[in-house]
Amino acid sequence: MNRRKLLSLLGMSPVLLTGEPAHAGQTKHAASSGADSGPLKFTAVNPKGIPPSIQLIPMAPRLDSLDGKTVYLVDTGFHGSDLLLHQVELWFNRNMPSVTLVFRRKAGPYAQDDPPLWKEIKEKGNAVVMATGH
Amino acid sequence: MGIPSVPLVTKAFKDLAILNAAKRGMPHERIVFTPHPVWGKTPEELRVYVDGPDPVSGKSLMKEVVDGLTVPLSDDEKKTGIVSVSVGPPTYTDTAENLQDLYLNNGYTDFLPIVLPTEEKVNAMLKGTSHHPDEVIGKMAAGAYPPWSYTVRHVAASAVMAGCRPEYFPILLAVASTGIASLFSSTNSFAFSMIINGPIRDKLEFNYGIGALGPFAQANATIGRAWTIMSKNLGNGGIPGDTYLGSVGNNLNYNNVVIAENEEASPWDPFHVQRGFKKEENVVSLFRGLGVVPGQVARGSSVNTSPMFDAQLSDLFSTFTGFFGALVIADPLVAVRLKEQGYDTKEKLIDWLYKNTTQTVKDYKGRNYSYLFEYPQALQGVEPFATWYKLPDDAVIPHFPRASSFNVVVTGGQTNAYPQAANMSYGVSVSIDKWM
Repeated sequence: MNRRKLLSLLGMSPVLLTGEPAHAGQTKHAASSGADSGPLKFTAVNPKGIPPSIQLIPMAPRLDSLDGKTVYLVDTGFHGSDLLLHQVELWFNRNMPSVTLVFRRKAGPYAQDDPPLWKEIKEKGNAVVMATGH
Repeated sequence: MGIPSVPLVTKAFKDLAILNAAKRGMPHERIVFTPHPVWGKTPEELRVYVDGPDPVSGKSLMKEVVDGLTVPLSDDEKKTGIVSVSVGPPTYTDTAENLQDLYLNNGYTDFLPIVLPTEEKVNAMLKGTSHHPDEVIGKMAAGAYPPWSYTVRHVAASAVMAGCRPEYFPILLAVASTGIASLFSSTNSFAFSMIINGPIRDKLEFNYGIGALGPFAQANATIGRAWTIMSKNLGNGGIPGDTYLGSVGNNLNYNNVVIAENEEASPWDPFHVQRGFKKEENVVSLFRGLGVVPGQVARGSSVNTSPMFDAQLSDLFSTFTGFFGALVIADPLVAVRLKEQGYDTKEKLIDWLYKNTTQTVKDYKGRNYSYLFEYPQALQGVEPFATWYKLPDDAVIPHFPRASSFNVVVTGGQTNAYPQAANMSYGVSVSIDKWM
């Protein structure tokens, strides 16, 4: 499934794809009421909870090039992430040797935040490649 | 962070990665995909991944990485603002057959037929509590996603769908108030359980006798089912590939493991009393883990004149992951026998199990959850993991990190003296009475 179709499942794709605030209407399944004849109809409650609104975050400006830049390779700790990132490191060494690479394993289990590492990267790095395994 | 970044994600998690980024505000995040899996591959195989194409875009994987960090942003990628997400209208009107189809197709159900949550039935359910229908009572997250919120009325709709009676409603509100979903996004196919204590067990005719964990009472069956339907609807859980990723899945998710404790036949304090509640209070306690195993498979479980249930339980637990706890589900016959062996409190039994269920450090390090969750904590100095990882491979250590990893509940009809055991950890106990 492509990204546009996938995002449409969220019920927010018009907003996200166009950037225009909007409220989606009824689903295509919603039926009209008030028929005086025909099959008996019922009104049922939508059981879905209340999703949070989404704060769009502008992505960080990109670099002109990676030449001479420092790229952090961040391992989330999933099995094999370190090995995969090592191959990424070797690729850079072979193909873009001017790039300085710094390998870091994120602290704590994979879902745990690591503010000190993000601070270090912001101070010393120019870009990040983060890898998960599985 | 303000630094250009590219996540590398395996192809199996494409939908999850895109949707998670979108829900967190970056619908156009530049994600690069590798073949799946990375786990268990050799360096040579992983070099083929890195030198090859991104299996989603078909373009060179490393060119995607470099471009992801260097190609200027599009207008879409620079957008700011707050957007809302619709979940459809507050009500639907149609024939019963069409509504059944709609609720099924919209993913509101557990794919079994439901009781339609008509306004009349929902209003009847709402009479089961003194709380206002529009009261927002909690937040529930589908895994790592931002949590959704919900009202008493939302809970009532799911309760009706599951076949619950209005008098069951306070239990479901208590569960909903915890924000704990019974469907979790992990690839590990988690299972969930709830223990019911207090006089409400008899008032609502819970089964805690013969077949206590089976489909033999409306309260046990529908309240457990409602937790899963609630998890789908209140927190948007249970969408395969998006908010649910359990590879094999778990049959226990249909109605969870609902355990009404057989307090009357138990020789020990009820579970909720252990947690500081009064015996006359009505309490629901929630557990999460991997599943339940029968005691019949334990070494030493053959019938004899002196069954050693403590050793049987310890044997069962030796296959469990210590990351989750061990929940003893003891038939009263088992519990009484254990008391005769000298365990006159649950705490004494737990102490023995903690000290006598052991493993070698080598076995410990070889367990998946040790590497994923406890080794990172060991690196941060968290005990006992930091000490365990420094010991030689042949050192013997407890199988579970602490005595509080163990819990004991008594239920069943005393037709046979077999325990069951769940690789589940305790979450929380909450009052049911406050939701009446």
